[in-house]
This record gives sequence, C-alpha cells and structure tokens, in this order.
Amino acid sequence: MKGKNSIVRFFVYLILIVASFFSVFPFFWMITGMTNSAVDILRGKMTFGTMFTENIRILFTEYDMANVLFNSLKVTGFTVVLCLLICSMAAYGFVMYKSKITQRLYALTMLTMMIPFAALMIPLFQIIVQFKLLNSHFALIVTGATSVFIIFFFRQSFVTYPFEIIQAARVDGAGEFRIFFKIFAPSMKGTFFAAAIYAFMTSWNSYMWPLIVLQTNDKRTTTLLISYLSSAYVPQYGVIMTAIVISTLPIIIIFFAFQKQFVQGVLGSVKA
Amino acid sequence: MKRILLVISVLTLCLGLFAACEKSTPDPTTDTNGNQQSDTQQTDSQKETEDKSSSSDKQKITVWAWDPNFNIAIMNEAAAIYQETHDNVEFEIVEMAKADVEQKLHTTLASKMTEGLPDIVLIEDYNSQKYLQSYPGAFADLTDKINYDDFAPYKVELMTVDSRVYGVPFDSGVSGFFYRSDILEEAGYSADDLNNITWDRLIEIGKDVKAKTGKAILSFDKADGGLMRIMLNSSGLWYFDAEGNITVSNNEALKEAMETYKKILDADIIIPTAGWNEWVAAFNNGDAASVISGCWIVGSVKAATDQSGKWAAAPVPRLNYDKSINASNLGGSSWYILEGAQNKDLAIDFMNEVFGGNVDFYQKILVNNGAVASYLPAIEGSAYSAADEFFGGQAVFADMGKWMNEIPSINYGLYTYEADAAIIANLENYLSGAKTVEEALQDAEAQLKSQIQ
Repeated sequence: MKGKNSIVRFFVYLILIVASFFSVFPFFWMITGMTNSAVDILRGKMTFGTMFTENIRILFTEYDMANVLFNSLKVTGFTVVLCLLICSMAAYGFVMYKSKITQRLYALTMLTMMIPFAALMIPLFQIIVQFKLLNSHFALIVTGATSVFIIFFFRQSFVTYPFEIIQAARVDGAGEFRIFFKIFAPSMKGTFFAAAIYAFMTSWNSYMWPLIVLQTNDKRTTTLLISYLSSAYVPQYGVIMTAIVISTLPIIIIFFAFQKQFVQGVLGSVKA
Repeated sequence: MKRILLVISVLTLCLGLFAACEKSTPDPTTDTNGNQQSDTQQTDSQKETEDKSSSSDKQKITVWAWDPNFNIAIMNEAAAIYQETHDNVEFEIVEMAKADVEQKLHTTLASKMTEGLPDIVLIEDYNSQKYLQSYPGAFADLTDKINYDDFAPYKVELMTVDSRVYGVPFDSGVSGFFYRSDILEEAGYSADDLNNITWDRLIEIGKDVKAKTGKAILSFDKADGGLMRIMLNSSGLWYFDAEGNITVSNNEALKEAMETYKKILDADIIIPTAGWNEWVAAFNNGDAASVISGCWIVGSVKAATDQSGKWAAAPVPRLNYDKSINASNLGGSSWYILEGAQNKDLAIDFMNEVFGGNVDFYQKILVNNGAVASYLPAIEGSAYSAADEFFGGQAVFADMGKWMNEIPSINYGLYTYEADAAIIANLENYLSGAKTVEEALQDAEAQLKSQIQ
C-alpha cells in the first residue's frame, strides 16, 4: 500500500514539476531578457546579461515610462474604486429589493454581457466625442466604472447573506446607506477583494479602448507603449522585456498581497 | 402597475436603440442631420478660433506613424526642418504600433467623427486602396497640390483612385539581388554574369555555387509570400486586376512564380528558414550567398560588419513571362492627409515643402535611417551617388534609384494580404505533389473569394 502510494506521488510530483516549469519559464525568460540586448535575446541567451541599466535608461528617458506607468495607475486606481462602489451597490439592490421588475432588469443587465465590445466601440466613441472627453483619462474611467460581470459576481455572493440581519438593522433605525457601509460591506470583505483584483486586471490590461480614446503620447498607458515598442521594424527586445516586467509587477504585487482574501472571495461565491 | 412600468422601460430602451441606429447611419437628405452637421461645424470653428486666440497663432500638425527608428525619427527630422522657417507650427507625432494605427484609423473613420483624426497618417502601400476605397472623401485629394512627376510612377499609381491622387509617396521597397561577391567569384561568376538574369538562370547558378563552394544561394521561408510578390510585381500583374477582379487562377506570372518556388525548393540550393530572425541570421552569418528583397533589407545586411566589401547588388531576377522585367518592389509606405483634419492646408504645405521638395532632407534620412526615397530628384543627391564600401565601392542607392524608375505600376487592390495568405495556404499541396499548380491556384482563388465576399 505504501509503495503504491509513493509511486502515485512520484507521478503527481513529476506532472506538477513539468507544469510549473511551463508556467514559470516565460517569467524566467522575461526577467533574463530584461538584462540582455535585443541581439542576445534573439540568439536565445537565457542567462543574465549586463544591459539592465541601459534598458531601464532607454525606457525611462526615451519613452517616459514613469509617466506611462503613472497614467496606468491613475486610470486603474479610479476605475477599481468606482467599479467596486457602483457594482456592489447595484448587486445589493438586486438582492435586497426583490421584485419582478428588479429581476427582469437583472436579466436584462446580464444580457448585455452577450454584446461584444467591438460592436459597442464606434457608438461609444461617438458619445465620448460628443461629450468632449476625447483624449482624457476620465473617458477610460467612466466607461470602465461598471462591469456587468462584477455585478453578477457580487450578486452571487450577496444572496448568501442572511436577510434577517438587514431587517434587524432597519428595525433599529439604520438608514440603507449606513446598513450597506457599516454592516453589510465589512462582512463581505473577501468578495470585495476578489472583485477588486478582477477589476484591477481588466482595467490594467485594457488595450482596445484606450487605443481608440487616447490621442497623444503623454496620455498613453502601458499596454499601448508595449504594443508600440514591439511593432518596430527592428524591435528592441531588451527594452520591451523591461517594460513588460515593470507593467506586470503591480498585478503580481496585488495578487500576492491579497491572495488569501482572493481565494476566500472566490470560495464564498461558489458556496451559494 | 408594475407591468405598465416594465412596458414603459422596455419601450424607452427600444427607442434609445433606434435613435442610436439612426445616428450611426447619417442620411444627408434629412433635415435633422443637416442641422446637426452645421452645429458641429459651428462648435468646431468656435473651438478653433478659441485655440488660435489662446495660443498666439500656434498651429499644430498631428501625425500618426509606427517605427521609432524609422518613420517616426524621419518625421521628427522633417518637422524640425519645417519649423526652421515656420516657428508658429507645432508637431504632435503620435507613436503607435502599426496594427494600432490601422485599427484606430478604421474606428475613427467609421464613426464619422472628425475630432479624433490626425492631420497626416502613414499607411502601408499594400493597404492603401483598402482605405481610399472604403472611405471615399476621407482623404485629401492632392492631385493638383503635389507635383507627382517628381515621384516614382509606381508609387503614384498605388494611391490613385479614378485618376485622382491621394497621398505623398514615402519610402520605396525597390528590390534588389544582393549577393556575396566573394562567394560567387569563387564559383566563377563575375558581376556581369549576375546582371539582369532570370529566375531559372539564378537556380542554375545556385546549383553551381552549391557544388563548388557548398554554400546555399538563398535563405528561404516557403511560408513567406515576399518573393512571390516580387516576381508578380516585376511582371506588372497582381492578385487583382485594375478593376479589382481576382486574378489568381488565370494569372500566368503567378503560375510561373509558384513553379519557380517549387524549382527552387527541389533544386536543394537554399537554407530553409522559419520566420524573419532565422532568415536574416542565415545571410548574416555567411551561410547564404545572397538575399533577394526590398531595399530596406540593406540595413540588416550591413549589420554583419565583418562582411564589409564582400557584397554587391544587381537588379532583381525576372520571370520568363514576356512582360516581366528586372525591376520590382516589396513593401513600402506613404503619407496621407485627412480631408477632415483640423489643419489640412498647413499639412499639405508641410508635406509639399519637405517631402515634395527638399533634396537635402532625403540625403539625411538615407544616411541616418536607411530610407530609400521615392522622390526622384533626391536620387541625384550626394548621399545616393556616394560609393558604398560595404558593397565594394558600388553606389548601390544610385543603382536602386535607377531600378525604381522602371518598376511596373500596379493597383494593389483591397486585399493583398488576404490573397497572399490564401496562396501560401495552398502552396504546400502543390509543392508536395498532391495537386497540380492549376488546381492549387483554383483552390486558393476559391478560398480567397469566400473570405472577401
């Protein structure tokens, strides 16, 4: 029995080692690439080189990476905060004020998930132009501030909340906003963290919409800069790798910092 | 009560949707739209006057381009030259990926909003007709504004629709047969033996070189349609005729080009490569004795500095097809001015003055960026006639200028890349012997038709 167990274990580990190699390898190449020149990267050099400071210098002086990073952080930060606020309140409404109308509205809201962004892009662009919001970060924030998926995600976890607590709070005379912020939201922390990570990733990685709305170099976000760097006739791979590492860092930091809450939040929504 | 509310909300939603649809397909005959247009024009002119008064007559030209070391660097140079005599003009050169420029231009033009448009945009030559024909009236008609006699005729033809010319020709893709003179000499071939040859002759030479020196004549990627486009362009034929009809299965030059691909592969005279980097590496490290491509490859050839003095250039080989000549083109791009742009007239003046009249500027960008111009007077300049030590003292750029003038003019049509992909997809069946060349081309034509119709 014991022998059989260790054989199983051996294969499990083997598979896991192979799988982890495949998932870690791109990161490893990315990080060594950051320290090499374009020619070395093309030759398949996988060890650390000496070009790190040069790549950083080019990125920050010629392409103003600091400003680009700031733009991305600004847009993403505002989007995440607004998105959490609006979506959680919307989901709260859908759960706590149940009626035929809200249910139909909810179904209608869900239906909009079926419309691909490509179909919305041109009318949305026209609206943004009419509002004189072209080339502004506000246009990115305001369109990213609601996500039907996040409303859905919040609602799925909110339905497990005992309605009696809300009723008790109402009896004690708490207003609806007070109930939401003081009683309801703190006990749903896990869900909020999970939604925040999702909203962060969506906004941080968004590419098509910033491309259409932003018009000048000083407004561009990290995705646009990386795309631009890679399309040169002779791409500077070292600089591109450096830009990719720098723009991946915030996602990695946020994920590891809130990993525990993230897993909790996802589990919470499955329980329903 | 609730039911009524529901009905009302659904109705308003539907109304909103209809209104949105109506707006997205403007009909110039309706009154409401006419009013709207004049409204936006008014606000535009208001904004313009505001801008002018606030920034003391500063005017801005916005440009979209894609390569930091090539077209953007060149545009910066051109802007600096123009600003020397026009200090009230500012330039906003927006850096984007090539695919991003195309996507953004498509979206902005499709939305019919002039606000987001640049004044000048760079478009790849193979795609120019797609934009010119899909968005009639979107690009400024420059027929009477620019002296097109100064530009290579084939470049002018590809930006012409109904005998009106839109755009300013920029970098040329004039192709050449760049070879290692030392290796070919070792095999017993002088420069004269390689001048104005056919592809069949090249294959013979390739076999001989392989036997005598062991070197391959070319590095060759059979998934790349570049050589096929060079062969086609040299014959004055394309995947489409002048009216835009598909000419794939009934195209003599294309048939011969396919057969030539097979002959080259069967003769075992090449190094098979996959992708750009391998292809370049094969001639950079001396495994391939020549490269046939657009003039922009010279930069990559020269990157192998240890091979200086060992290269030479000859005109590109021709097909046996009777109209095929020893001059062709691969790639290239041109500038276009948007009709709805804020500073259209200023942009035209700028393009005319620098790209359409400054010979020194063209010498500078040839030296600094390796850009071979399609502006003919520039080819008489000092940088073009200078002897190039890398090419054993040959004035390669002056030679290329001569070949450029002979390139057959073609209307590339709307779907060059789609046609290219369909042919490459069906090429393998022919190479493996599963199908005849006629069958493979018929399959490719059927595939192309289903894709673009």
